[in-house]
Amino acid sequence: MRVSENTNYILDNCRFCWMCRHVCPIGNATGQERNTARARALAVSMVSRGAEKLENVVDNLYECSLCGACTNNCMTGFDPKEFVQTVKTQAVLEGCIPPYIADLLKKYAETGNVYGAKADGSLSPLFGKKSGTLFLAGQDALYCAPGCVKEALDLLSRAGVEAALDEKACDTGAAMWFLTGKTEETRAAAEACAKILNGYRTVVVYDPADLKLLLHEYKEWGIGVHAEIVGFNAFLLGLIRGKKLGVKKGKNVYTVQDNYAYARDLDDTETVRSLVECAGENREMLLFGKEANLAGHLVMRTYMPEVQRAVALKRWENANNMECRTVVTENPAEYVLLKETCPEGSRVISVEEMLLENL
Amino acid sequence: MNDFLFTQVLTELEDAIGRENCSTKEIDRVTHSVDYFWLSRMWADRGRRMPEADFVVSPKDAQEVSKVLKIANYYKIPVTTWGGGGGTQGGAIPVAGGIVLDTKRMDKIYDVNTDSMYVECGAGAIYKHVEWAANEKGCTTMHYPSSLTCSTVGGFLAHRGIGVVSTKYGKIDDMALKLEVVLPNGDIIETSPAPKHAAGPDLNQIFIGSEGTLGIITKAQMRIYEQPESRKFRGFLFKDMHSAFLAAKEVLQKFKPSVMRLFDEAETVSLIKKIVGVQKPGAFMTLAYEGPKELVEVEEKIVLSVFGKYGAEDLGSEYGEKWWKEKITFFYPGHMLDIPQMFGTMDTIAPYDKIEKIYWAMKKAIETQFEHVKFIAHFSHWYEWGCMVYDRFIVEKEFVPEDPAEAMRLHNRIWSVGVRAALENGGVVNDHHGVGLKLGRLMKEQYGPAMQVFEGLKKSLDPNGIMNPFKLGL
Repeated sequence: MRVSENTNYILDNCRFCWMCRHVCPIGNATGQERNTARARALAVSMVSRGAEKLENVVDNLYECSLCGACTNNCMTGFDPKEFVQTVKTQAVLEGCIPPYIADLLKKYAETGNVYGAKADGSLSPLFGKKSGTLFLAGQDALYCAPGCVKEALDLLSRAGVEAALDEKACDTGAAMWFLTGKTEETRAAAEACAKILNGYRTVVVYDPADLKLLLHEYKEWGIGVHAEIVGFNAFLLGLIRGKKLGVKKGKNVYTVQDNYAYARDLDDTETVRSLVECAGENREMLLFGKEANLAGHLVMRTYMPEVQRAVALKRWENANNMECRTVVTENPAEYVLLKETCPEGSRVISVEEMLLENL
Repeated sequence: MNDFLFTQVLTELEDAIGRENCSTKEIDRVTHSVDYFWLSRMWADRGRRMPEADFVVSPKDAQEVSKVLKIANYYKIPVTTWGGGGGTQGGAIPVAGGIVLDTKRMDKIYDVNTDSMYVECGAGAIYKHVEWAANEKGCTTMHYPSSLTCSTVGGFLAHRGIGVVSTKYGKIDDMALKLEVVLPNGDIIETSPAPKHAAGPDLNQIFIGSEGTLGIITKAQMRIYEQPESRKFRGFLFKDMHSAFLAAKEVLQKFKPSVMRLFDEAETVSLIKKIVGVQKPGAFMTLAYEGPKELVEVEEKIVLSVFGKYGAEDLGSEYGEKWWKEKITFFYPGHMLDIPQMFGTMDTIAPYDKIEKIYWAMKKAIETQFEHVKFIAHFSHWYEWGCMVYDRFIVEKEFVPEDPAEAMRLHNRIWSVGVRAALENGGVVNDHHGVGLKLGRLMKEQYGPAMQVFEGLKKSLDPNGIMNPFKLGL
């Protein structure tokens, strides 16, 4: 296996260090030793040393959500995500990806999305609108949470923003990036998406995983997007502050489920809190803000559904310990998984649902 | 084990605890073969495979552990218990193959009881998670070792671990109120409803420190404490260690600071200079005292008065605060001793009348018998009667043999020489890292005929010798 000197350096430093174990949402949910940055690094470092075969340990790379809790926790500044993604790409090149990942890639090749799904019929009337503003829903929302897309567009409409919805634009390359790293396929998806985005003046990005890719990886890969890129939360806050959207502060107590991409990759934990403060009161639970702990991942749910349920249930435990009964999500994956596992007496709502209820 | 029997055992294990909780995959076997023991890390670093388990099982509670142990006993298969894998003594390495029983699915926190100030939790709970649970109720565990975030409740109990505020709050064995244990034959037992009784010997203390050789701890009640109203730090520089010992002992007759750490001259000018920033030569000591504000103020006055008497230079609170902030940083990669260096921590404990002699004897033995081996130490867990020395040897990479077997032999020789020097001068095999595979051979040298008590327990509870073979000298 050929990886860069930098990747080997991270592997060699992480392979004997357990200091970030306690924050891994997958490891905490499964209790499995392999679900630690050190286990992945150890196994891959053994492959590097010719003492193990990549195909024997490759599954474990796909048990990482890339949430970056370990990276955020590392006092030395090592980033285990780096070797996970590099080695995934290597696995693609060596033709040793696990069969269930190969199935997802096949679905993607056939349907344009890893879920092999078609957009929900109820969204049909929303496609084809002409506007200078594109609402980039993302594939998770489009195929797994169409209700969120409708509500988000409804909220924008109430503020006088008639945004366009484009199915093809929803593929930013995020799913391919997750599954294969920086491959030709990921790049092709990103370039196709950029082309569409550049036909608009403003792009409002709903899913922080897409926003992170557009703002970070696209730049790194030299893929130019000239349209103004705005996160959904920031766009909403702008509408509220610009008096286009009147939100009444109620007595409800909400708890933010920080999304890791917003919190860590985009360094934005405050916009969602400002939105919550417009509608009610915010009460924090364990692991909030920069310490954000994953509550679910939809692509991973396709091949490890029980683990994703367990991840969401752990988050409900955190919420319930602090008597947080209404959890606000800022991305479709966590919304869907928290909704599926919601205990009696608790409730999960998206940011747009919360605002719609308080107009 | 032949393929036929292997499949038979696997089928029975899957039937007992569920297919998804039994693994024979390479990834699970490899990751359970290397713990924090220098030898296992070195072996892996050189591209060699450590001994691996045949089966990795993750039971969810005592009932499932019981089923696994009954199967293991019937087929006479070794069982090695794995918590966080953060042990330094090789205690969790399945050297004899067989079953690795990973406890981390037993991570439930059953009760944070503020009426009686304890947490009841599964032995597989990561201690940091227990701390978080206590924090949510405004309390704390007061168990803050460097491995807080990676090790389990059961792991700390298995080797008698310790945290940095132990001088005031005690070791893990002082913090356990009650345990649930699965015996090797599969029986599930509970220790006494409360500790500190006169109903015979303390069952807790038979299993605490037994390193999985006598049974598997599956649940524990651990003490919690109020968050201290005030915690103050103060750093001092003594001209030598002797005066620091006299001063510290005198303070401990009056009250117990939470943190007391004395660094020898070598560590003061190396690690302490690098991490905490103390520039002057001497023996650096950092203290913390904590509790109600008024008491802390009185305690600080006592420290200043006693330490002043012994000529300590008062360095103020800055270095102590810096140390507190950085106390875990030491253990992240890039800040700590690491492969390809060879190193080890030979912590031992003794009364005050012996501890200094032990320090000098160990230093002399290591430095005179081995070329190119550095020796540094600090003293970090203190009692009214004595203290612990955390002495480390370091061999820089250019002096570590290329051949892994040769490196292993050098490593083991240094350990034998160092620990024997401690034993000959009134010390013990280990203070708080345990025995494991690393030091088992020296247990009989410490205990002599007393070792038959442990051997008798082992023979009676584990007649087939399946529990963590080759550990603890049993």
